[in-house]
Amino acid sequence: MTLYRLHHSTIYDYAEPVVLGTHYMHLLPRERPGQMVREAHLEISPAPETRRDEVDYFGNPTTTVSLAGAHKQFAVNLSATVEVNQPAPPPAEETLRWEAIAAKGLHEPDVAEYCLPSPLAAPQNEIADYAAVSFLPGRPMLAALLELTQRIYNEMTYKPGVTNNCTTAAHILTTRTGVCQDYAHFMIACLRALGLPGRYVSGYLRTTPPPGQERRRGADQSHAWVSSWLGPEAGWVDLDPTNNLLVADEHVTLAWGRDFADVSPLRGIILGGGRHWLKVGVDLEPVLT
Amino acid sequence: MQTAPPACDEMVDRNGRIRAPWSPIMAAARELGPEELNRRALALNRQASLAVSSGNLAQRLYDPLPLLLTAPEFSFLEAAVRQRATLLSRVLEDLYGPQTLLRSGAIPPALVLGEPHFLRPLHTQTPLSTPRLALFAADIVRGPDGIFSLLHSHTGIIPGLGHALSLRRQASSNLPELLRAGGIRSLRPARELLTDHVRRQAAGGLVAVLSGGAGTAAEADLVDDALLARALGVLLIEPGDLATRNGALHMKTLSGLLNIATLIRGVSGIDLDPLEQGGRPGTGIAGAFGAIRAGVLAMLNAPGTNLAAAPVLRPYIDNLFLPLLNEPALLPPAAADSLAQASNAPFIAPGGQTPAPVCFRLFAWHDGETWQVLPGGLGVPLPGQDSGSLGLKDLWVLEEQDEPSHTAGAAPAEPREHVNFLSATHLPSRLADNLFWLGRSVERLEAACRLLILTRPRLESGTSLPRDMAERALLTKCLAQAGLLPAELSGATVSGRLLRETLHRRRPVAGLLKEVGRLVNASAERLSPTMLATVRFALQQAIDSLPNEDTSLPTMLSFAATFAGIAAENMVRDGGWLFLEMGRRLERGETLAESLAILLDAPPERLQPGLALGLELADSVLSYDLRYAGVLAPGPVFALLLADSGNPRALSYQCAALRACLERLGADDDAEAARQLQLDVANLAGTVTGLRPALSAAAAKLRLLSDRVHRRFFTLLPEAHTLDDGEILEAAQ
Repeated sequence: MTLYRLHHSTIYDYAEPVVLGTHYMHLLPRERPGQMVREAHLEISPAPETRRDEVDYFGNPTTTVSLAGAHKQFAVNLSATVEVNQPAPPPAEETLRWEAIAAKGLHEPDVAEYCLPSPLAAPQNEIADYAAVSFLPGRPMLAALLELTQRIYNEMTYKPGVTNNCTTAAHILTTRTGVCQDYAHFMIACLRALGLPGRYVSGYLRTTPPPGQERRRGADQSHAWVSSWLGPEAGWVDLDPTNNLLVADEHVTLAWGRDFADVSPLRGIILGGGRHWLKVGVDLEPVLT
Repeated sequence: MQTAPPACDEMVDRNGRIRAPWSPIMAAARELGPEELNRRALALNRQASLAVSSGNLAQRLYDPLPLLLTAPEFSFLEAAVRQRATLLSRVLEDLYGPQTLLRSGAIPPALVLGEPHFLRPLHTQTPLSTPRLALFAADIVRGPDGIFSLLHSHTGIIPGLGHALSLRRQASSNLPELLRAGGIRSLRPARELLTDHVRRQAAGGLVAVLSGGAGTAAEADLVDDALLARALGVLLIEPGDLATRNGALHMKTLSGLLNIATLIRGVSGIDLDPLEQGGRPGTGIAGAFGAIRAGVLAMLNAPGTNLAAAPVLRPYIDNLFLPLLNEPALLPPAAADSLAQASNAPFIAPGGQTPAPVCFRLFAWHDGETWQVLPGGLGVPLPGQDSGSLGLKDLWVLEEQDEPSHTAGAAPAEPREHVNFLSATHLPSRLADNLFWLGRSVERLEAACRLLILTRPRLESGTSLPRDMAERALLTKCLAQAGLLPAELSGATVSGRLLRETLHRRRPVAGLLKEVGRLVNASAERLSPTMLATVRFALQQAIDSLPNEDTSLPTMLSFAATFAGIAAENMVRDGGWLFLEMGRRLERGETLAESLAILLDAPPERLQPGLALGLELADSVLSYDLRYAGVLAPGPVFALLLADSGNPRALSYQCAALRACLERLGADDDAEAARQLQLDVANLAGTVTGLRPALSAAAAKLRLLSDRVHRRFFTLLPEAHTLDDGEILEAAQ
C-alpha cells in the first residue's frame, strides 16, 4: 500500500479580461479497485458563480464552473490524498486465451464500450497486423499484452511537441513518435483491432522514482496509459507502454474513457481573454509506504 | 386499418371510382381547372418562400391537394402513434439511464454504443426534469391490402411540424374552394394545447425554436423552423444568439442576457455542446448539456433522442412491445418492399395532375401526462422518379359522418393573450445588428445613385467653361470620397468616357445592391410578409435594371424610395425599426456632412457651384426655389441643408431623428451626444468660413456615435473561443 499526496495546479493568464468563462473539468481522481481517494479538493479562482460536481458516463467525477466577473487569471488547484494498493494480476500464463476475451467483450455492456472504435483510437488493418504479431492464436491474454507493451515501448520514439490532442492512432502507426497519450492511443487501437477492449486512463506517475530506479517518462505532468480486460474474473489490468510497465503502485488514476477526448482534464469556452499563457504543475509524492 | 378496402390509390377505388370522401375536393379542383390549380399552387409556394432567408425555394414545397384520413382511420393511427411514442420514450429513458435493455440482451450493447446518436454526456443516473422524448412524428404508408405500416419514426428533430401547423392556414387563403367542402377536424385546439403546454413547462421563461441559421441547413428546414416559431408564438434563434452564464442558457439581447427555459431543437444533438463534445464554439452552445442535466434547460427533444430512430436498433425495438408495454404493436413495421407498394395520391406537378406514392406523417407531443396526436399532419411524397417536383400535402382528418360538419379554415378568432416576447429590448442582438446595417446599406445605395445621377450628364456634356470645370472637380472629389472612384481620379481632367469606363469596371452600385440583398435576407424574419414581398420585388427590379445604364439609376432610387416608404408605413416604431432608422440616419448624416465639406469648401465668391450641387444632392432644389425664388446665397442654402429640422435631408434632421431613437432605447448619454451635435450643426448655418473642418468634425462625430451604438447594442459579448487542454500536455513537456 502506498499513500500519495497529489497536487496539480493549472493557471491561465489572459492578456485581456475574460468576461464569461465556462469550464468543464476531469480533475478530481476517481475511485477504482486498488485505489481509494481519502480526500480531494478542487480550488478554483476566481470563485465561480456556479459549480456543478457530477459523475460522467464513465464514472469519472467532473466539475463544471461558470465564471462571470471579468478576470485576467483562471487557476485550478487539485490537492488530494490517494491510497494505492493495486492487487497483483494473475500470473500471465494463467490468464484466459485472448480469443475468449474477444468473444466475451462485445456482449458485456460495461466492456463493449471499450472494444469499439473511438475517434482517436480507431483500429485499421495495418494496426491489426501490427498487433497480431503478439497475439498469436491461443496465447494467454496477459502474456500477449506484456509483449505488445514491450514492442510499443521499443519501437516508438518518445518526443514531446510533435503531436497534439487530435493526433490519431492511425497517424502514430506511420510516425511511431509521440508522447504518453500517443503511446496509449496506439496500443488501444491495437487491442480494438483484435476485438479486445482497451481503455484510456489518465492520471499521474510518482514524481521521484522508488530508490535505485531511474526517473520515469511522464512524471511531473499529466500522464496516460492503458487498461485492458482479462475477463469477468480477473477484471482490468493497467499497462504503461511509455515506460514499459505493468502498473502497480507508482500510478494514480484520475479518470478513464475510450480515448483522451472523453477525459480531457480541462476544457473551456471563454468570451474575451485575447492571448493567454498556461502554467501547469504536477507533484505526486508518497507520504507513507 | 384492417377494415379498409384493398387500395393502391388513395383517391380512386378498385373500380376506378373516386372514393366518397374525395369527391367534393376533386369536384372543386375540377371546377378550378388544371391551369388555375397550378397557379394556386404557385401562389401557395410563393407565400411559403417568403419565410426563407434567400427568398427562393429550389423546389416546390407544397402541393395544393390534401391527403385524407377518415375518422376511423385516424383514430386507429392515433392509437398506434401514441403506442409507438410511448414505447420509444421508454426505450430512450432506459438507454440513457439504467440500460436494463442492454444488460438483459434485449438490444445488443455494441449497436447502441457504436451509434453516433448515442450521446454519452446525456446519460444520467436519474431521469431529466422533462421527458427526453417530447415531440414525435411517424411516417406511415398504406399497402396494397389497405393495411397501414410504419415506415419511419422521427425522434430527434421533428421534420415538418412547422409546415403541419401552418399549411392549413396558408391553404385556406389560397384554396378556399377546396376547404369549402368542409367536414375537417380543426388543428387549432391542438395547436393551442401544444402552445400552452410548452409555455407552462417554461414557467414564465423564454421559449425559442433553435434553428441552424442560414447556410447550415437545407432551406426547407429553415422554413419549417420559422413556421414552427410563428405557429407557437415563440422566438426563433440560432446557436450564436446564445451564451451560458451561471450554468444556464441566455439569449443575447439588446437589454442584456435573458434566460432561456425551453428550446425546441431544430439542430442535431451531435456536436451541439462544444464544451463537452469539443468542436468550434461558434457552431454549438457551450454548456447546453450541463444545463439540461441540471434541469435549468428543457430541450424538445433532448439531444441524443435520434438514437431511437436508428435503423440498426429498429428490429430490436419492434420486439419490445410485449415485454415493455404488455401489448402487441398496433402498427406493423413496413416491409422492405413497402416503398414500392405504398398507395398513390394525386399531386399537382408542373405537367399536370399525377399520381405518386405518398406517406402519412402524423405528429404527437407529450403533454406531461400522455401523448397527444395532432388531428392532421402532412402527406409526404415518397422518394421516387419525380418526387423532387412534388410538394407536401396538408393531411385532413375528416369528421365523423354524424357529427355536424364545419369548415376548419382560419375562422376569425381573438388572438390569445401571450407574454410579449418580442418587445424592443428582447430583440436578439444579431437581428438588431442586421437591421442597423440594412438601414445603412440602403441609404448608401441611394446616396451613391444620387451622386451618379448628378455626375453623369455633367461629365458627358461638359464644356471648358470655368463653372463646368469647377462642378466636375467637385463631383469627382465627392465620388472619390464615397469610394465610387479611386482617389487618384479626383481631378477636373476626368473625362466622361474614363468615368464611365471606371464605373463600368468597378460596378460599385452592383456591389452595394448585393449587400442590400444579403441584409434583406438576414433580416427577413423581422419584416412582415407583405413588406418582404414588396422589398424583394423592388430589389429584383433594381438587379434586373443593372445592365441598362440609362434606367438603372432611377430604378435604384425607386427601390430606395419603396424601401423607405414601406418601412415608414408597415413597421411598428420600436425594436427593429429603431435600428433600421438609426442606420439610415447615421449613414445619411455622415454622407451629407462629408459631401458638403467638399462642396462648400470655397471662398464666398466661388461658392456658387458648390451651393447648387449641394441643393441637388440633398434633393432640396424645389424647396429652395419655392422659398427663395431660386436666388442662390450661402445663408439660405446653409439654413436649408444644415439647420432646417423640417427638411428630412438636412443634417440637423438626421441628428434629431437619431436622438429620438436613442432616447427610445434608453441610451441617454448617446442621445445627449446626438442633441449636442444637432445644436452644433444648426449653429454652422451662421458661419461662412471654416465650414470644411467643422463639417468633417460632424462626420467624425457621427462615425463615433455609430461605433458607440455598435458597442452598446451589438457587441454585447466578445467572441467565444476554446481553451484547449492539449496545451496542458504541451506546456508540461
